[in-house]
Amino acid sequence: MEERPVVVLGGGISKFAAERRDGTIRDWMVEAVQEAVQDAGVEIEEIEHATTSYFSDHFDKQLKQGAIFHDSIGMCPKPNVRVEGGGGTGGLALRNAYAYLKAGLCDSMIVYGAENMGRHVPSDVSQQFIAMASDTDWEYLVGGFYIAYYAVMIQEHMRRYGTTEEQMAMVSVKNHRNALHNPKAHGPMKITVEDVMKSPMIAAPYKRLDCSLLSDGAACLILSTEEWAKKHAKSWQAKPHIYFAGTGCGTDFMRMGDRPRPNPGICHFRGKQVASQQAYAMAGIKNPLKEIDVAEIHDAYSGVEIQSYEDLGFCKHGEGGRLLEEGVFDLGGELPCNTSGGLIGFGHPVGATGVAQGVEIMLQLRGEAGPGRQVKGARRGLMDSHGGTGTFVAVNIFERRD
Amino acid sequence: MAKILNKREVLTVPNPAAAYQKEDPFADFREVEMLELHWEQTYHHSLGKYSKFFLELEKKRFLATKCPKCGKVWTPPRPVCPHDLQVTKWVELSGEGTLEGYSICEFAPAFVSSEKPYVLAYVALDGADTLFCHQLRHFGDRSNIKTGMRVRVAYAEGEVAHPIRLMYFEPV
Ligand SMILES: [Zn+2]
Repeated sequence: MEERPVVVLGGGISKFAAERRDGTIRDWMVEAVQEAVQDAGVEIEEIEHATTSYFSDHFDKQLKQGAIFHDSIGMCPKPNVRVEGGGGTGGLALRNAYAYLKAGLCDSMIVYGAENMGRHVPSDVSQQFIAMASDTDWEYLVGGFYIAYYAVMIQEHMRRYGTTEEQMAMVSVKNHRNALHNPKAHGPMKITVEDVMKSPMIAAPYKRLDCSLLSDGAACLILSTEEWAKKHAKSWQAKPHIYFAGTGCGTDFMRMGDRPRPNPGICHFRGKQVASQQAYAMAGIKNPLKEIDVAEIHDAYSGVEIQSYEDLGFCKHGEGGRLLEEGVFDLGGELPCNTSGGLIGFGHPVGATGVAQGVEIMLQLRGEAGPGRQVKGARRGLMDSHGGTGTFVAVNIFERRD
Repeated sequence: MAKILNKREVLTVPNPAAAYQKEDPFADFREVEMLELHWEQTYHHSLGKYSKFFLELEKKRFLATKCPKCGKVWTPPRPVCPHDLQVTKWVELSGEGTLEGYSICEFAPAFVSSEKPYVLAYVALDGADTLFCHQLRHFGDRSNIKTGMRVRVAYAEGEVAHPIRLMYFEPV
């Protein structure tokens, strides 16, 4: 018998959008929390602990944002911890919550994440802010920025394995299409491979439509021990039971030039290989492609999703593009990926992203993802959240147990 | 005359969640005032133990660091080898190497003062165990750029905004 099993009680997501002038990051976070509390059927005053998930202090020009989030929802004087790991912040925050619950520091935890990335500053300033999450002494001042770093990585993938720009475009088409069924998505679009190929080049081979979205938004997930859920959560009676079945974390050198070659070299995410193997071992998964029913992948750029299929062990290195072409990762395929629309279609308000992945997987496993994007009979779901060029990676797995 | 100098506009915004909310829970909060905020600062930034690299670049010498224990040569330099935590020694490299990866960028983030397009390149310098990231210039037609091509460190003429800009790569 597993000690102190951790369960997922409820989730909420604010509307993701390019620019939410209707409110501030605090307002979006409160929206997500209101929805999560409602969904979980718990009272906020009963929740014992909070985890704050946000990436940047300069997008919102507010340090110590967690304190404002925390008091906005009446959590004072209860404990809080902030987790930060670039783009992987949300996934790491969920892992942190799992550890706190498992260790007995608390029996219930609310995890909220948000980011103010949309049009608060112009997009070239946004790219500069994000680039400051690379090595500012060595790479940033020579013109390094994230689209370019990832472009270098996928160029190497193309050179080694023959991955094509059309295959990358197919990821964008799929994720924008999946987002059509997600009313909270920032970028639902019916587009073609040709539309992606013709969109403006940013850093070759990545074009505008290969990129994830700079979004405003927030997400919230409420976790607890099984015992706490039985006593405090109405959702425990009303909804299917979702368990936190596995978690893993891996890292790599900040500057990808420092990584060992050829694996990962400037081609693969070694931290993701490590994180997923840990998570699979915990969840008892031997063949992820067969044993996982639905996955949210960190598609910061279209090619990253293909590289991630491989580093998550869904297939061998170099096979990702071909499997994608066969429809394996489409809705209706063997392992639907980014049913929410992912970072490309749903949006990427960084601190919210990994938490929103958790909400999507919870909804999928409950059978509540809604018409158009529900994966029939999904029992086990994976979320993959990473920062930098795969510098910090968190892989978490939820499971439905009836 | 405007009383509030940084006011941009006042507007009534729609409910962004109207597609899935029948009633607007924040109907009383839809009047929004937008401001323009400006922020600028100057840092006194130390290049710390990297400084010798940059000071030698001014003399057109390209340095790396070598670990006395495992022998690994790091570039960019590291005062301590991450493999075994040994303090490293400075070594000079020829500045020639092989292009291992690149992307041609048609866009630059704010305050990257580069002509567009520019090429972000990762180079395996001869004698180094890691790759060094910098711009590749003077390549002529972009079709000339190939992974595996020989390149070298070139030194900038005139004034630069930051010592990392004392150098760039060019084809041999
Ligand atoms: Zn060493």
